[in-house]
Parts: sequence; C-alpha cells; structure tokens
Amino acid sequence: MNYSDLTWRHFQSAAAAGVLAGPTVRRGAAGSRAQGTWVQFDIQVGSGDQDSTVEAVRFLAFGCPHVIAVSDWVSQAAVGRDAKPVLPETVQALCERFDVPIEKLGRLLIIEDAWIAALSSPYEG
Amino acid sequence: MPAAPVYFDYAATTPVDSRVAARMAACLTREGTFGNPGSSHDYGDAANAMVEAARAQVAAAVGADPTEIILTSGATEANNLALFGVASYYREAGRHVVTVRTEHKSVLDPCRELERRGWRVTYLRPESGGIVDPDQVAAALQPDTVLVSVMHVNNETGIIQDIAAIAGVCAKHGTARLHVDAAQSVGKCALDFSRWGLDLLSLSAHKAYGPKGAGALVVSRKRGVHLQPLQFGGGQERNLRSGTLATHQVVGMGAAFEFAAAARESEALRIALLRDRLWGGLEALGGVLRNGAAARTVAHLLNVSFEDVDGESLLAAVRPSIAVSTGSACTSAAQEPSYVLRALGRDERLAESSLRFSLGRFTTGADVDAAVAAVTRAVMRLRGIAGHRGARRP
Repeated sequence: MNYSDLTWRHFQSAAAAGVLAGPTVRRGAAGSRAQGTWVQFDIQVGSGDQDSTVEAVRFLAFGCPHVIAVSDWVSQAAVGRDAKPVLPETVQALCERFDVPIEKLGRLLIIEDAWIAALSSPYEG
Repeated sequence: MPAAPVYFDYAATTPVDSRVAARMAACLTREGTFGNPGSSHDYGDAANAMVEAARAQVAAAVGADPTEIILTSGATEANNLALFGVASYYREAGRHVVTVRTEHKSVLDPCRELERRGWRVTYLRPESGGIVDPDQVAAALQPDTVLVSVMHVNNETGIIQDIAAIAGVCAKHGTARLHVDAAQSVGKCALDFSRWGLDLLSLSAHKAYGPKGAGALVVSRKRGVHLQPLQFGGGQERNLRSGTLATHQVVGMGAAFEFAAAARESEALRIALLRDRLWGGLEALGGVLRNGAAARTVAHLLNVSFEDVDGESLLAAVRPSIAVSTGSACTSAAQEPSYVLRALGRDERLAESSLRFSLGRFTTGADVDAAVAAVTRAVMRLRGIAGHRGARRP
C-alpha cells in the first residue's frame, strides 16, 4: 500500500509515542489488539487558570500505519487546545488529511473513542 | 539517493540470469533466430530447432520426456490447463477433484469454478506443519475422483510435500490422476516426473532465473493422460495449446532450467546456511514463530510470524530496507491474512504479521545481516509504540 507523505512522516517519526504520568494526566484507551487496532492517549491537562487546556499528549497504538500516524498527529495538534472530549479535527477531516481509505474509517473511530475516553476519565494521579 | 532495498522476494520472481538473457536476445533480432518455429522454411526450422532443444532441457530438469512438455505462458496457465483439461476430458468418468487448502490461487480458483460447473471438490486441510499426509489423500478419494492436485513446494511456507508417496496413493486408486504444481521446485529440490509416477506437472520459468511469461505443463504419455484443450487455433503443442511459440521465452526457460538443475545442490547448501543465519538473527528478537515444519522446508524460504506487531505496519517499516512479501494479501485497502497460514492454524493476527523471506542466487551474508538489523529495528520500535512490555520505548 502507498501512503501519503504526511502519513509516512508521522508513522516514521511517531514523536508523540509514549506515556505520561502525574496527577493531571488523564488516560483513555479503545479498541483491542486482538481485533487489530488499539489506541491509548495520556493527556496532561493544565491546572489552575489553565485547567481546561491540553499541555501534553502521548499515545500508544497497535495498528496500521494510518492509526499510528493519525494518533501521532492528533497528539501534537491537540496541545494548547481546550481539553474537550472532541478530536482536533473530525474523523472525516482526518480521513481526508491523511488520505485514509474508507475501509479504515472504523480504525479512526477507535482513535476518537480513545480520545473521548481519556477526557471523560478521572485524573490518573 | 538511498540504497535500493535488499531483495528477499525470490519466491515471487527472480532476475533473469545474464547467461539466459544472452541466449534469449539471440532469438529476437534480424541477425538472430527470429523465425516462427511453425514456419516451413529455414528461418522457421532454425527457431524450431532452438525450441526443441529448450524443450529437451526442460524435460531433463524434471525427469520427463521432451514429448511430454506442453509449453505455456506460465504456471497459472499450466494449472488451468491441467484442471479444466482433465476435468473436461474425463467428465463422463467422474466429477470429483481433491486438492489442498494451501494451494496457490491458480489451482484454488479453477477448483471453485469447477464447483460452479457441477464438480465436487474436496479441500484437504494439512497438518499444523503444513504437511499433507498421503493417508489424508487416500481417505478423500472417491470412486469418481478424476483428479488430485497437490503442490510440490508451497509458495508461502516452502513446505515440501511427499509427492512420490501421494502419487503412489493415486496410482492405487486407478482413475485419480495426480497433478503437481511445481512452480517453486526447479533448482530448489529434487523432482523426478517419471520415477515418481506423476500424471501432470506445472512449471514456471521466472522462479528459476528465467523469463516471465514462460512455463510448461508436463503431461505423462507413459500413463496415457488426456486433456481437453482450452484454446484453439494453430494446433501447436499437440493441439493442446494453440498459439505461436515465443522462441525467446522458451529458449530462456530451457537455459534457466538447465543452469538451475546443475547448480541445485551447491546452491541449496549455500542458501540453507544463509537461511539459518537469518532465522537465528530473527529468533533472537523473541516472540517470533517459524511457519511450517522446518525439517520439510526448501532452503530458500523462511516464513516468520511476529507477535505483538501489526503486519501492515511491519511491512511498511521494513520496506525502505528490504523487499519481502507479507503474509497478507493486499487485495484491498485493508489487508487480509494469508489463507495458507490460517490453514496451518495460525490465528488471524499472527497470519497477518508474518513475513516471507525468500533467498536466492544473489543473496549474501551481508544481505542477511542487513535484513536482521532492519526487522529487529522495526519490530522493537512498533512493539514500543504499542506499549508492549519489554519493548524499547519509542
């Protein structure tokens, strides 16, 4: 399969891959390895005056290059935004941005589910 | 410019041997033997002589008589001719065919088509190592079985079937003719059409350093096998495969098979050492499973599943460094796990996360070391991104 430059770049770097820990980190996951796609986000939300802002995001992902690339992009794009259970872009827009085939739409919905789960969850710490 | 990926896909195709290419080139231009082998003049006679010499080379490589060689465009055509040709010719004698779930698509798809046309097909499931027990074949035979089709060397796992034993089972039955897809065999392992008592044998040139677009179906005369032709026209190839013979392709196949047969034992020994070195390097990663019974596998093929890694990501990650095949069929945007590995009992995830390394004449120790390094790097990185315990953090 051929991938877009953006997909390839984020798949290869996966700069935001990893985990966060601390009292202001929220963690959420969705999907399953057995089913072929699993994503986890650790989202550090600012405290005090900034309590509704995303300060840092790390992700773990088991899945195809599109899943890894989109998770990586989302993790970086969300920093500085309001900490709402909504992706920085809609799944449809992400599909277009990364040239994700329609057959893989369900995998991007798992990314969205993981994001929502993280920001709907209590603080990790 | 980045270096080209190291080639580990010799089971998909091989580069044409330069000696073979030179002989082919001599059949193409005005100065060469360009005539139609079917023409009745000096040019035609010269081309025909080259075709017949090549036919003899093909026959010698597989232990057949030259008169038993039907030249085709490749193994896919040979398989189709064998299955439909036998089924049609013997349709009054019976309408039952036996084959194996791990056959190539060019056998399985014709079998599905035969089913649509009213034949019954039994699909044997090999044992977990990929081996078909001859007793399984015996148990599947029915009074109206007209054909058994079992491949010699599996193209995904490299498993070698005991064809001589299966031929014995078919001979006892009486009316079950044995067809063997041997596209992966020439130059890789021993093959003796006459001594093993085979009825039909499919061959491919481009898996043995010959050209693409050339192959053959060997049809036993001694055993009196008959076929219904699938295409009609000039009556070439004993009326079984009409069409002008491509002299250069046939000459290329003959030369390639001769060279491959001559070098078989020494090449197999050298490649087996490289294959073992590759396996040793990959196994050290942990969570790596070898597909197929190692003791029954050809030297040039190694099929490996990687735990805790997505197959598509693995293939993408190693692609800049090595050219390998995956255990998935990329028939659409989403990949499907290999039906061959699934038939061997691998679960969907492991079947999907498998890589087929096929080594060849030009593979070196440095290539193997580069492959081990590239796969190790990719697997550890992907396991890290997936949060696999014990993996290197991304």
